[in-house]
Amino acid sequence: MNRRVFGLPLTWGKLLVHLGLAAIVIVWTVPTLGLFVSSLRDKDQLITSGWWTALTASEQTAAGRLLGRDAEATDDGRYVLRGDVLEAEGRSIVAFGLDQTDLRAHAPGDTVDLGGLAFTLNEDGTYVATSDTPIPEDYRERVFYVEAIPPTFTLANYREVLASEGIDRAFINTFTVTIPATVIPILIAAFAAYAFAWMKFPGRQLFFAIVVGLLVVPLQMSLIPLLRMYNDIGAAFGVPSKTYLGIWLAHTAFGLPLAVYLLRNYIGGLPRDIIESAQLDGASHFDVFTRLVLPLSIPALASFAIFQFLWVWNDLLVALVFLGKGEDQIVLTSKLREMLGSRGDNWEILTSSAFVSILVPLMVFFALQRYFVRGLLAGSVKGG
Amino acid sequence: MIEQVLSALLAVVAAIGASVTYFYGSNWLLDRLVADRRAPDGTYVSRQRARDAVRPWLFLAPALLVLGVYLVYPVVETLRLSFFGSNGDTFVGAANWTWAVQNEGVRTAVRNNVLWLLVVPSLSTVFGLLVATLADRVAWGNVAKSLVFMPMAISFVGASVIWKFVYDYRGAGSEQIGILNAVVVALGGEPQAWITVEPWNNFLLMVILVWIQTGFAMVILSAALRGVPEETIEAARIDGASDVAVFFRIIIPQIFSTILVVWTTITIVVLKIFDIVAAMTNGQWGTEVLANAMYNWMFRGGGHFGRGSVIALMIMIAVIPIMAYNIRRFREEEARR
Amino acid sequence: MITSAFRRLVLALGVVGLLASAAAQDLVFPIGEDDRFDWASLERFEALDLTGQTIEVFGPWLTVDEELVNSVFAYFEHATGAEIEYAGSDSFEQQIVIDVQAGSPPDLAVFPQPGLAADLASQGALEPLGASLEQWTRENYAAGDSWVELGTYADENGEEDFFGFFYKVDVKSLVWYSPDNFADAGYEIPQTMEELIALSDQIVADGGTPWCIGLGSGDATGWPATDWVEDIMLRTQEPSVYDQWVEHEIPFDDPRVVNAIETFGSFAKNDEYVQGGAQGVASTDFRDSPQGLFDVPPGCYMHRQASFIPSFFPEGTELGLDVDFFYFPPFEAEDLGNPVLGAGTVWGMTDENPAARELLDFLTTPLAHEIWMAQSGFLTPHTGVNLDAYANDTLRGQGEILRNATTFRFDASDLMPGAIGAGAFWTGMVDYVGGESAESAAADIEEAWQSLE
Repeated sequence: MNRRVFGLPLTWGKLLVHLGLAAIVIVWTVPTLGLFVSSLRDKDQLITSGWWTALTASEQTAAGRLLGRDAEATDDGRYVLRGDVLEAEGRSIVAFGLDQTDLRAHAPGDTVDLGGLAFTLNEDGTYVATSDTPIPEDYRERVFYVEAIPPTFTLANYREVLASEGIDRAFINTFTVTIPATVIPILIAAFAAYAFAWMKFPGRQLFFAIVVGLLVVPLQMSLIPLLRMYNDIGAAFGVPSKTYLGIWLAHTAFGLPLAVYLLRNYIGGLPRDIIESAQLDGASHFDVFTRLVLPLSIPALASFAIFQFLWVWNDLLVALVFLGKGEDQIVLTSKLREMLGSRGDNWEILTSSAFVSILVPLMVFFALQRYFVRGLLAGSVKGG
Repeated sequence: MIEQVLSALLAVVAAIGASVTYFYGSNWLLDRLVADRRAPDGTYVSRQRARDAVRPWLFLAPALLVLGVYLVYPVVETLRLSFFGSNGDTFVGAANWTWAVQNEGVRTAVRNNVLWLLVVPSLSTVFGLLVATLADRVAWGNVAKSLVFMPMAISFVGASVIWKFVYDYRGAGSEQIGILNAVVVALGGEPQAWITVEPWNNFLLMVILVWIQTGFAMVILSAALRGVPEETIEAARIDGASDVAVFFRIIIPQIFSTILVVWTTITIVVLKIFDIVAAMTNGQWGTEVLANAMYNWMFRGGGHFGRGSVIALMIMIAVIPIMAYNIRRFREEEARR
Repeated sequence: MITSAFRRLVLALGVVGLLASAAAQDLVFPIGEDDRFDWASLERFEALDLTGQTIEVFGPWLTVDEELVNSVFAYFEHATGAEIEYAGSDSFEQQIVIDVQAGSPPDLAVFPQPGLAADLASQGALEPLGASLEQWTRENYAAGDSWVELGTYADENGEEDFFGFFYKVDVKSLVWYSPDNFADAGYEIPQTMEELIALSDQIVADGGTPWCIGLGSGDATGWPATDWVEDIMLRTQEPSVYDQWVEHEIPFDDPRVVNAIETFGSFAKNDEYVQGGAQGVASTDFRDSPQGLFDVPPGCYMHRQASFIPSFFPEGTELGLDVDFFYFPPFEAEDLGNPVLGAGTVWGMTDENPAARELLDFLTTPLAHEIWMAQSGFLTPHTGVNLDAYANDTLRGQGEILRNATTFRFDASDLMPGAIGAGAFWTGMVDYVGGESAESAAADIEEAWQSLE
């Protein structure tokens, strides 16, 4: 299937494969790319221009202000106002005007009359306004200009996220939640899936039907009954009701139906003769499972592990409900949500935090991806 | 800091250790307690049968216990609440059910859910299969797969910002910051407030879920594709079958059960679809779906548990056909081997 | 492999975290030093020893607001030795319902909406705050009776009691504008609604766009429109009609309400009046909508929004210089005085705790108000506080609007049952702006309300 054609011109079909795949990949990547570029931009620019403009030089109109309170007297008896209208590095003035309707009236370096002052705006954004008479304290004038913005990027958004207090602890807490909440359901589900696929016991189909049916239970529905139960248990035994154990079990339960369903499909698809021949050799189901089925199921286990890991890692709702809000239990998603502020005013935090939180899942994806390789399975297993 | 990491690691090890210990311990115990033995008369008594009767339950016990407590019990509780009033105290009979049947908002939600069910699972599966297949044929396949997978790894908060930068609307004449409108304007069209345009906004929301779920379909199908025995493909090729023919006649039938699993799983995700709608429109502009309606009735503004429960049960009723189909397939598979 | 990568990552982050962790702030203003503050009111609490006691407070404030409320708490903790654990959540409204239902409420909950507090009171989840606090509110808050009324709800037996204490108030009847743009174009601040409409027409005639309006707010989309309608209700009808509307004694589709919605529509559904045209109103995020004030040339000239909106202005914006506000004026023809629409956070006791009662008592002292006033974003109806404590003229100006009000009314959508005020009213307004008629939108909301009763 994978015959390479190095050294040969591409066939039309091969070209089509490349193009088709490239098209899909581009469509799938562009939205994320937009977020990534946005995360490297300045807060105020985020909502005023499209992210794709960040990649090229652009022009923007803005206003600068001269205030009499900043004036100073010079030795030669003149009065001067100095300053810089451009706050950001690398920008330059293209043109300026004294009226919003005519922004390109003057070229940088021109000297014009601005409310009695001789005003010059230079290309680098610095300005000088001079007068022979003292500049009144309440003097206020605006100048309007067109500035050229080179493609600029900043890491400030990331710095803000990574430097926030307690984020390190939130990372640890998230791992404390995520790892057991990924491993436990896989383990439990693998045993259950094997039982459903290869063992005989009364009520097998009924139980499997129930498990599949539970796939659809909306998570939100079970929160209040469960929390009530946790509080009762907590009160009865004098233990806290919000614990890591509690959230591990909750995540285990919420991920279990899908795990059992997927794994049963996979384990059930293993060739019958492997299992039967092992049993003829006197191996118990436990031996068959641990020595034969488990190693063969690694690709399926790995793919489910990725998904369960992602769900738990990105989960907010379950963590909000089953964990405390103190720093010893707060998880990354809650922490990032908090940084958005009560009114969700920090777009720039959203953009950078999305990438901070995506890093670990991607690492896990790459780490587990190698378990999908053909060699582990070649020829021994039919589809699924 | 180190101390925190250590205590976290300890917790992780303890939790995983405990579950491993259970499975090994209980099976070891079973083999010990119900071991084969010699009867007093010296004959060898195999107690294999007894062990085989018990062992499935050892395998299943944790799963059934956890599911019973965390999912079955809440379902029963929900069923009870669906016959009670706003705070679950007064019995109201079937009033919530008649409300749900007559309520226009619920009807819109049902209609939209059906639309979602038709569009999202099929598109995600098709795209997932396409990527999985094509990626195996090019050198940069792994890169392609990783990029298509990426949306799955993005938290929902992140995804909603991503799509804000796609669908955002600014008035004609001002600079667009949403890429969709920027493209429309560049082509000479009028910008639109996309998420308010009924009924197309529903499809725009579906695009987001397809974008996310394709990665899921791709990973599972890709694993299945790798399980297709090379010999069958080679044999077909020798018979002169084209690539396309091999794909449809040889590969698809072999991974068909996996395709169904993927389709079913995504269908169920769609039935529960909540986050996308809640964050993008909260069900306004005719985009309500059942799970969002349920959440709003249960938790927002004081809540009405009875009505929320009824909507939750409607979602669960909708899964019955899917469940029935899966059971039938389960039986057929049993019969075949 | 994962673990070692994880450890490296965590260690790397740990270093960043250590560098960044600021020195724990203690008291923002040293006790006794600044005579803007009423330090004497702290003495009563110095005598109190609550060492070892913990008070859990759960509210909607995060980040900046969280720091501010903690800076007030710090004085109480310093004086009494009690420990206050404040936790904030941006999904407070859902969380508190879940916590209460599950039987694990905090001691004090800070409700952004009295309607939600009333809902919880009716489920028996709130403890009465007692007659002395009620009496204090009546006597020390401007328009004290109305604050008491806003904090009085029926309990699970239908008996009325004082459950909610107001601390931190917002004024909503504000129109933000750029004084420079007004001066350049020669526009005057309108004193009446008639003048405001004439000014809007003038701006259109001059080729500009008068208003920026955005209703988008994620899952709360639509709420900014409810403020408009409420403000207009207060300017077209007697306060008693407004109260009847809130209490559902008149139907939501009463012609007087429909008229208010249509008046709002004459602004928001007028393509010439709104930046981006009527189509953009519903989907523009309210956080992005003030941006037009700062565009060059101006994207719009006016933006009607509550006192909190400056936190969404571009960085470096100087209040009073780059942007200022004026009072959303009343109709001269209606002669209804100077009505003011506001909102505020109401504190309820979700779990009996004597130390928490002391904390509420502390919140009645002028000091507890002045500390926050002197920082930012805080208005108070407390008549005993020193107005010099306000951090800037903008806040002081808003405080004056609050004091000069001939009628003060609370945000109606916050008082209506949650399913209406935080549900049907929002969606109804979105539908209206999207093209539905005012009658039909109002009728939908009315229907939703009836189905609740």
